[in-house]
Amino acid sequence: MEEQPKVGPTGLGKLVLFVFVLACLGGAAYYFRGLIAPSGRDSTGPVNMDEFKKVEAPDTKGITTVSEYKYVPGEKLPPVKGVSAYKWGADKVVNFPINVWIGWLPIVAANGGFSPNPDSIFAKKYGFKVNLKLIDDPVVARDAFAAGESHVLWGTLDMMVLFAPDLMKDSRSAPRIFQQVDWSSGGDGIVVRGAIGSVADLKGKTIVYAQNSPSQYFINNLLLNAGVQPSAVKHKFTATAFEAAAAFVADKSIDACVSWAPDIYNIPDKVKGTRVLTTTAEANKLIADVWAARADFAKDHPEVVKGLVAGIFDGMDRLQDATQREKAYAWMAEGYGMQADEVKAMAQDAHSTNFSENKAFFLNANDPANFERTWKNVTFVYRELGLIDTPVRFDEVMDFSVLQELDKAGGFAHQKDESRASFTPTSYKKISAESPILTQTIRINFYPNSANVYEPQHDESGKPVANTLYDPSVAATLEKVARLVGQYERAVVAVVGHTDSSMKGKGTRFEDVKALSNDRAEAVKQALVKKYNFDPNKFTVEGKGWDEPANADDPMNQALNRRVEVSVYPPESK
Amino acid sequence: MTTAAPAPAGGPAPVRPGPPASAHAGFLRIREPLAAWKAVVLGLLPVLALLVLWMIVTTGAAEERVISPTILPSPGEVVASFPLLWFDRAVTRNLAVSFTRVVEGFALAVAVSFPLGVLMGAFTKVKAAFTPLTVFGAYLPIPTLVPLTLSLFGTAELQKVMFLALAFSIYLVPLFVAAVDAVDDTYLKTAYTLGATRGQAVSRVLLPISWPDIWQAMRLGFGVGWSYILLAEMVDVGRGIGGIIITSQRRGPREHIYLVLVIIVAVAFLTDKLWAAVGRFLFPHRAGKR
Repeated sequence: MEEQPKVGPTGLGKLVLFVFVLACLGGAAYYFRGLIAPSGRDSTGPVNMDEFKKVEAPDTKGITTVSEYKYVPGEKLPPVKGVSAYKWGADKVVNFPINVWIGWLPIVAANGGFSPNPDSIFAKKYGFKVNLKLIDDPVVARDAFAAGESHVLWGTLDMMVLFAPDLMKDSRSAPRIFQQVDWSSGGDGIVVRGAIGSVADLKGKTIVYAQNSPSQYFINNLLLNAGVQPSAVKHKFTATAFEAAAAFVADKSIDACVSWAPDIYNIPDKVKGTRVLTTTAEANKLIADVWAARADFAKDHPEVVKGLVAGIFDGMDRLQDATQREKAYAWMAEGYGMQADEVKAMAQDAHSTNFSENKAFFLNANDPANFERTWKNVTFVYRELGLIDTPVRFDEVMDFSVLQELDKAGGFAHQKDESRASFTPTSYKKISAESPILTQTIRINFYPNSANVYEPQHDESGKPVANTLYDPSVAATLEKVARLVGQYERAVVAVVGHTDSSMKGKGTRFEDVKALSNDRAEAVKQALVKKYNFDPNKFTVEGKGWDEPANADDPMNQALNRRVEVSVYPPESK
Repeated sequence: MTTAAPAPAGGPAPVRPGPPASAHAGFLRIREPLAAWKAVVLGLLPVLALLVLWMIVTTGAAEERVISPTILPSPGEVVASFPLLWFDRAVTRNLAVSFTRVVEGFALAVAVSFPLGVLMGAFTKVKAAFTPLTVFGAYLPIPTLVPLTLSLFGTAELQKVMFLALAFSIYLVPLFVAAVDAVDDTYLKTAYTLGATRGQAVSRVLLPISWPDIWQAMRLGFGVGWSYILLAEMVDVGRGIGGIIITSQRRGPREHIYLVLVIIVAVAFLTDKLWAAVGRFLFPHRAGKR
């Protein structure tokens, strides 16, 4: 080839060009960085604390203790379309996955073990068999349910809130919840390090827990109730509660962990300077374990679903007998591949909910810890955390029709609610010696010098105006307190009234101010007891007058000072 | 990966008695030269077939599909959820986080397993000492190491990098040993004849000859990190691509699981191409052979 005269840039020119192009690309990338690498949605932005109480109160008019839902579940539940897509043979075996959790003891007792067998209550009384399968991983359990491999999905109500939107994309795998199996009662808990005395002390601290699990609901619900912004706490996430406990033990920079029994009880024994802050032994109506059936299965085989519900109640009856109970422990140990002693050690983690407790949970619209309130509370917490976009309504998954049928038949009328905590009257001085688990500050706008929470508005001449409320949001405020107090069913609650100090040094006697703040606290207590049927002895009342301003740095902020504080204390006899 | 470079154009078939005529006839011919574009097309066909199959089993209303959308969303639904993944879940940033972890873990693993592998490949006694450990490692269910790394390295970045480094090392050491092992004895003998010392035999003979194989081992090994990213990111979920999968499994959308899988495949493909390109640049004599 002939030598061609060189055309084009020199070596240096090429380099300059290359650098120039690179710089242009870099500049463009920087300019469009929001598009190329967006920073994501800030999922823990500030929560509007006022919104927290505005989860609608279901029935503000009827101030009665029991108010049953009047609607028919079938009218609210999403209709099932298409051809059913679950496995079902002539042998009629329900695939019922469960996790390692003592709450399943009644169904294990009813089934006589894990494998489908002809001697089970289900086979003998209701004409089908149940195959209990250990599927501990909730994702696997969910996938088996979605694929129609299992007819039932185990879970807590807060897990169902997260699973439901996706499962309802196919109307056949929409979850239908018919029964509550238990309340977590000591099975979940929070362990803290160092000088953390109450939930409010977690501000600015680091906590670790399993994301999208009951732990996440537990801690964030507490933070919100204590008035702590979730974003004011550093959250570290793990995939399982077991890892959260391990991370807490391994990493001294983590101040708290949310985990399960037995870890939450073992850690304080093994790791110096740690203690249990609170568990579901106190918040014993917070985490509800339920099971859901596939919508197509429930539609095709209502008698099987009814048999499952009834059989589990039968199992609870069976467990009353000590020898049957021992048998059930042995069956459960075999199914889980554990020792019977290990299973027995879990016995305190959950409280089985019998027929009348289920009725209260599903049917009583006024119960402070019922299905609707729990579902809405979970939905609120998770929506504020940015975990769910399009929440599912409670009546799209809750089906109380079976409970109603069983109620009519009357077969379980003997199962009475004997679990309600009983309280002995106590004094504020006595309970406030310990630090509260958390303190919720509420503001009810009282009419000057009045202690009536339902005080009407007054016209210019000072006469009350009928059918008005001085504080129109009082029902929502009380609802917020009731939900917290309901979740902490076993805890003692102090209601402490405070007044402003506007009349301080103007001839007003402190005794009168103190009496007014005491009356206001008493009024809040009475309103709660009346509407939600709480045990009056659960509450102690105290009036502080103007002695404790809300904010020590701003003692003259009188609007903040007029308040009632609701503090949850651990029960005295643990 | 197909690194199809067309063989140098050959002349007419040799006259020597070759393989039977059937080997050179018909659709499938043994070691036939293939044009690059044909290789690409052939490579795309199964991918397209898979896509078509995916579409077939996921068309129609939710209840009429072969596979329910609660298990497998349709390609369209997966694509439609892309903006949410891109903007709300910041997939690029998370990808960068995970990529950095993989690179750091890999670098750490190479720093340990390269000298170990070379020493094992060169010296029989070192090999004898460490072989049981590597065999044990190869059979080890890696997930069981998560809690262990947790208590050793805490919950922050270090734990993830160390976990990945561990997984990488277990994979890389045997490959490095094999690469050094593969050097023909003839080279060593020639070197000794020329008066090479022990050190020179390693640095001038064993290493230079095994470089391309070592590079190849690193190229294969780098991909392994992505299969462990989910395990590495199980703790302190929130940042990283594995965290997105774990989160999507628990609260949806399902689409993001599949999207992230596609993204991981794309990244793995691109990085593999990069490894191959750098390999061709470093070892041009090898590139010719392949």
